[in-house]
Amino acid sequence: MIHHIVRKEFADMIRDGRFRWSAILVGSLLLVSLAHGWVQARKASQEHAAAQATAREHWETQGEKNPHSAAHYGVYAFKPRLALSFVDEGVDPFTGTSVWLEAHRQNDFLLRPAQDVTAAQRIGALTAAQVLQHLVPLLIILLTFGAFASERERGTLRQLVATGVGWRELALGKALGASGALALLLVPAAVAGATALVVANPGPTASPVARGAVLAGAYLAYFVVFLALSLAVSARARSSRTALVFLLAVWVVNGLVAPRVAVDLSKRVYATPSAFEFARTVEREMADGVEDIAPPDRAESTQRLLAEYGVERVEDLPINAVGVYLQESEEFSNRIFDRNYGALWDAFRRQGILQEVLAAAAPSIAVRTLSMGLAGTDVEQHRHFAEAAETYRRDLMRQMNGDMTENSLTGDFSYAAGAELWESVPPLEYEAPPLGWVLGNRILSLAVLGAWLAGAVLLASAQVRRAEVA
Amino acid sequence: MTESQESHTGAAPLLEARGLTKDYGGTRALDSLDLAIAPGEVYCLLGPNGAGKTTTINLFLGFVAPSAGQALVAGLNVSTHDRESKRRLAYIPEQVMLYRNLSGIENLEYFAALGGQGSLGRERLVEILVEAGLDGEAAGRRVSTYSKGMRQKVGIAIAIAKEADALLLDEPTSGLDPTASSEFSALVERLRNRGVAVLMATHDLFRAKDTGTRVGIMHYGRLVTELSTAEVGHADLERIYLEHVSDNGGPR
Amino acid sequence: MTARTVLKNEWRLLMADRPLKIALGLFVVLLGYALTNGVVWLRFQERTVEATTSGNVERASALRQELEAIEAGGQPSSPFADPRSPRVLGGPSGSHTAVLAPGPLTALAIGQSDLLPYYYDVNIYTNEASFHQNGEVENPLNLMVGRFDLAFAVVYLLPLLVLALSFNVLSEEREQGTLALTLSQPVSARSVVTVKLAFRALVVAAIVLGVSLLGALATGGFGSPGRILLWSVTAVAYALFWFALAAWVNALGRSSAWNATVLVGAWLVLVVVLPAAINAAAGLLHPLPSRVEMVTAQREASNDAVNRRSELLARYLEDHPEMADGVVADEPGLGALSWAATDAVNGRLEEVAAEHDARRAEQTALVRRYRFLSPALLAQEALLDAAGTGDARFADFQSQVRAFAERWREFFVPAIMADEQMNAGVLADVPTFSLVDGDSADLARRATAPLAVLAGLLALIGAAAGVGLGRVRGAD
Repeated sequence: MIHHIVRKEFADMIRDGRFRWSAILVGSLLLVSLAHGWVQARKASQEHAAAQATAREHWETQGEKNPHSAAHYGVYAFKPRLALSFVDEGVDPFTGTSVWLEAHRQNDFLLRPAQDVTAAQRIGALTAAQVLQHLVPLLIILLTFGAFASERERGTLRQLVATGVGWRELALGKALGASGALALLLVPAAVAGATALVVANPGPTASPVARGAVLAGAYLAYFVVFLALSLAVSARARSSRTALVFLLAVWVVNGLVAPRVAVDLSKRVYATPSAFEFARTVEREMADGVEDIAPPDRAESTQRLLAEYGVERVEDLPINAVGVYLQESEEFSNRIFDRNYGALWDAFRRQGILQEVLAAAAPSIAVRTLSMGLAGTDVEQHRHFAEAAETYRRDLMRQMNGDMTENSLTGDFSYAAGAELWESVPPLEYEAPPLGWVLGNRILSLAVLGAWLAGAVLLASAQVRRAEVA
Repeated sequence: MTESQESHTGAAPLLEARGLTKDYGGTRALDSLDLAIAPGEVYCLLGPNGAGKTTTINLFLGFVAPSAGQALVAGLNVSTHDRESKRRLAYIPEQVMLYRNLSGIENLEYFAALGGQGSLGRERLVEILVEAGLDGEAAGRRVSTYSKGMRQKVGIAIAIAKEADALLLDEPTSGLDPTASSEFSALVERLRNRGVAVLMATHDLFRAKDTGTRVGIMHYGRLVTELSTAEVGHADLERIYLEHVSDNGGPR
Repeated sequence: MTARTVLKNEWRLLMADRPLKIALGLFVVLLGYALTNGVVWLRFQERTVEATTSGNVERASALRQELEAIEAGGQPSSPFADPRSPRVLGGPSGSHTAVLAPGPLTALAIGQSDLLPYYYDVNIYTNEASFHQNGEVENPLNLMVGRFDLAFAVVYLLPLLVLALSFNVLSEEREQGTLALTLSQPVSARSVVTVKLAFRALVVAAIVLGVSLLGALATGGFGSPGRILLWSVTAVAYALFWFALAAWVNALGRSSAWNATVLVGAWLVLVVVLPAAINAAAGLLHPLPSRVEMVTAQREASNDAVNRRSELLARYLEDHPEMADGVVADEPGLGALSWAATDAVNGRLEEVAAEHDARRAEQTALVRRYRFLSPALLAQEALLDAAGTGDARFADFQSQVRAFAERWREFFVPAIMADEQMNAGVLADVPTFSLVDGDSADLARRATAPLAVLAGLLALIGAAAGVGLGRVRGAD
C-alpha cells in the first residue's frame, strides 16, 4: 500500500521542474562547499603543522642562554584543524589561530582569519554546514508544502481518501517519497564527505568517524523536523499558498532572525567587559593583587629560603633564589589569569547555553551547536585547546624556573643552559577531546533537537488526522 | 418584453463590429463578425461553448487585439481609443469578482472612481446599490459574505454608477437561481429603457427571448443567424438554435 | 484621480488584511529591536572611547609629574622605567592610544565594528604585527552568527517583506477575477500596478526611513546629513529593486504560487547563494598566504637581528645618515644597538605584510568586482559605508595610525640613537593622534559605483516590468 504512495510521490517530485532545478542547485552547492571546505582545511592544517614544527625548531635552536631568557623567548602554539572542520568551520574564522606562550603572561589568541576579509565575505561563507542548515530545509519546504494543500485544491485528495487509504499511510508515504527525492542529493554528499574524512589526514580528533556518524544523525533529525512540520502545515492550511507563506516565515525566523536575536539577548543577559576594561583589570590585579591573592613578596620568599636551608646569606644558598621568586610570580599571575580569563570564558559559556535554550524557538540553533561541536569548531573546543596551550606554558615556565633554581646560584647571571634543556621540554601535543566530552557539553542541544523531533512528528500525525478533505 | 422593440432603428449604433476577426494560433475564434447595436437594444449572443461569444466581448473590451476588422464603441475604434472607449462601456463578467475583504459600497466606490466618476459619496453609492437590487444592510457588509447574485448586483451597480452607454454581459445569469435570474433581467430591462445598448452572451434561450430585443446565434466563430425576439416564440427559438448549432458545417 | 482612487483602495485592502497587518507590525517591531541593539552597542563603544581618551590624559600627567619630580631632584620609581629614557617615554608605558570614534551611524549598522580593532596603543615598538590584534572582547560564537542590526534587517529581511507585499500584486487580481473588471475601466494595467506598488513602497519606505531617522536622531547622527542621505537613498533604492523585480515577475502573467517560488528563489540566489559563491571563488582563485607565516617571519627576523645588532646598526646609519650625528660610532650605546635591531625586525615584517596585503588586495578586488552581481552586496557595502562601520573607514583609520606611529618614532628615535635623556619640557611636543574622518566627497566617491549599479539594475528591471505590464490585458 505505502510503497505505491511513496513511488507516486517520488516520481511526482523528480519530474517537477522546480524540484529538479532547486535540487541540482542545492546538491551542487553542497558538493562544491564540501570540496572547498576540504581543500581549505587541508591547506590550513598543513600550514599549521609546518608552523608548529618551525616553532619547535626555533625553541630547540635558540642557542645558549639563561633559562629565564628562554622563557621570555617562549614558543608559539598553533591551533590544529580537526578532521571534520571541513564540514563546518564554525567559530574558527573568528578565533585566533596562534598564541605566544611566554613568561609572565597569558596572551590572547591572535590572527583571526575573519579580520583579513571584507564585510561582504563575512556575511556569506559557503560551507557544507550552511547548505545543510539553511538550504536543505528550504528545499524540503518547497518539496512538501503542497503535499496535502495542493491535492486538496486540485480535488485529488477527495478521490485519494475515497479509495480508503488511511491518513497515516498517506502522510508516511508522502514523507518517504520526499525523503527518497532528498536522498538523491544527500546520499552522494554523505558518501563524498565520508570519503574525504577517511582520505584526509585525520588530525588530532578523537574518533573522527564516530563524530561524523553522530553529525550525520543530527542533520537527519533536523531534516525530519522540517519534513514533519511542512507536512503538518500542509495538512492544515486552507490553501497551498498559505502553507507556503507560513513555512517560509518559519524558515526565515529559524535561520535568519532567531539566531541573531539569540546572540543579542545572550549578550544583554551575560554581558562581557570591553577589551579595554578587561586589559586594565588584569593590569591592575597583576600589580596589586586581589583580596585573597597577594603578589609574592621577594624579601619574604628569600627569608623563607634562608630559614629552610639554615644559612645566613643569600650567596650561601645552594639554589638560585631568583628562580624561586620567578616561579612564585608565575603562580601568582596564573591565579590572576585564571580568575579573569575564567570569568570571561564562563560568560561566553553562559551566552552559549542561553542560545542553546533559545533553540526551543528555532531548531537551527540546536543543530548548529551540535554541528560545530562534532566538527570540533565550537567555542568550548577552542577553549579546550587554549587551556591545553596555557597548561603547556605553565609547565614550560616551571621547568625553566626550576632549572634556573637548581643549576645556578643567586646573583649568577652568567648561567646559560643549552639545547639539552630545550630538547628536554616535550613538544606541545594536543589531544582533542573525545566524543563523550563533546556530547556531554551538548546535552542541552541534543535534548532540544530531540524535543523538536518528537514534537514535530507528533504535530504532523495530529494535524494529518484532523485534516479536511476539501 | 412587450414594449419598444423598434428602438434600434435609426439611431447610430453604440456597439459595432466590422468584419471583426480573431485567430488564436491557427484557430479562428471569430470570423468576420458584423454587428451593430443601437441605444435601447439588448442583443443576445447565443451559441455553444467555443462559439466565439466571449471572444467578441473581449474584443470590445480591448482585452485582445483583433486579427482583422474593427470593434467600435460609440463610433470609437477600440484598438486606437482604448481609454475613451472604455469610458463608455460597462462590463459584467460571468462571475463578478470583487475584493472579498471590502464591502459592497467600498468595491463600488473603487470601480466607479476608476471609471471616472470621482467620489460619489456614501449616500449616493448606497442609493445605486439599492437601485441595483441590493438591500442597504448588505451593502455595508464584506463581499466575502455575498452570494453570486449579490455580487452580480454590485456589477450592475458599477454599470449604473458609471452611466455607461453600452453594457457587455458575459453569461451573467449562469449559476443564478430563478428568482435572482429574473431580478437580473429586470435590471437589464431598466438600463435598456435608459437607452443603454446591451450585448449579452448567454446559454439561456429562455432568458434571451425574454430580455433580448435581438438574438444572434454563433457557431464556430461565425454569426450564423440573427433574428428579432418579437418575431419568434420560445419554442421557435429553440428549434432554430438547434438547427444552426448541430454539427454540420464547422470549419474544423 | 486614478492614482488616488487606487491608493485609497489599497489602503482599505491593507487595513482589511489581518495577516498583512501582522507582518508589517512584526517588521516594525523587529526594526525597533534592531535599532535598540545598535544603540546599546554604540553606547558600549562610546564608553571605551572615553576610557581610552582619559587613559591618555592620565598617563601623560603621571609621566609629567614623575619627570618634574626627578628634575626637582627625586629618583625614578624604577631604574627600568626611568621616564627620562626615550625608550621608556616613547615605549609601552608612555604610549598614546589612537582611537577611532564610532561611526556616525553605528546605531544603524554595527558592521565590522565588533570584529576590527578600533583603538591601538601606539609607541616606538608599534609595527606591522601590532595591527594584528583582536578587536573588542567578543564571544567568537557571536561574531560568527552576527548581530541583529538595522543593516541586517534592510539587506536580508526588507526584500522578503517587499516580496510578501508584492509577489501577487497582479496575479492575485487575475486569480480572484477583479482584473477583468478593473481593466474594463479606462485604466491600464501598468498604471494600476505602478500605483499599487508605489503605495506599498511608500509604506515600506516610511517604516524603514522612520526607524532609521529615529535612530540617527537618538544618537546624534544628524551631525552627518550626507551619511543619512546615503543610507536613505541606498535603503530605498534597494527596496525599489525588489519591487521592480516583483512587478516584472507579475508581468509574466503566471500564477501567484509560481511568482512566490520564483521570487523566493531570486532572493535566495541574490542574497545568499551569490555572495557565498563569490567569496568561495575569491578564496580559491586568490588564496591568502597564512598569517601564521608572519609569526614565523617575525621570529626569524628578531633572532637574526639580535645576533647581528652591530652590523644592523651600521646599515641603519647608512640608511639614516641624519641619525649618525648623535651616535658614537666606535662605542654605540645600548639604545642605538637595540633600536637598530628593532628597526630590522620592523623592516622584515613590513616586507611580509606588504606581500600579504598585495595578495589580499587581489582577493578583495575580485570580490569587489563581482559584488555587482548581487544587489545585496552592493546595498550592504553602501549601508556600512554610510554608517561608518564598513571596511573603508577601518582601513583609513589603520593607515592614519601607521602614519601616526611613524611620527611617534620620528620624535623619539633620534634621542634613542643619541642616548639622550628627555625632560618634562618635551611632553608638550609629544605627538598626539587625532582622527581625520574622510569628508562627504570621499563617501560620495566610494558610494557612486555601487549606487550607480544598483540604480542601473533598478532601471533595467523596471523597464522590463513596464514593457511586460504594457502587454497585460483583461483576458488572454
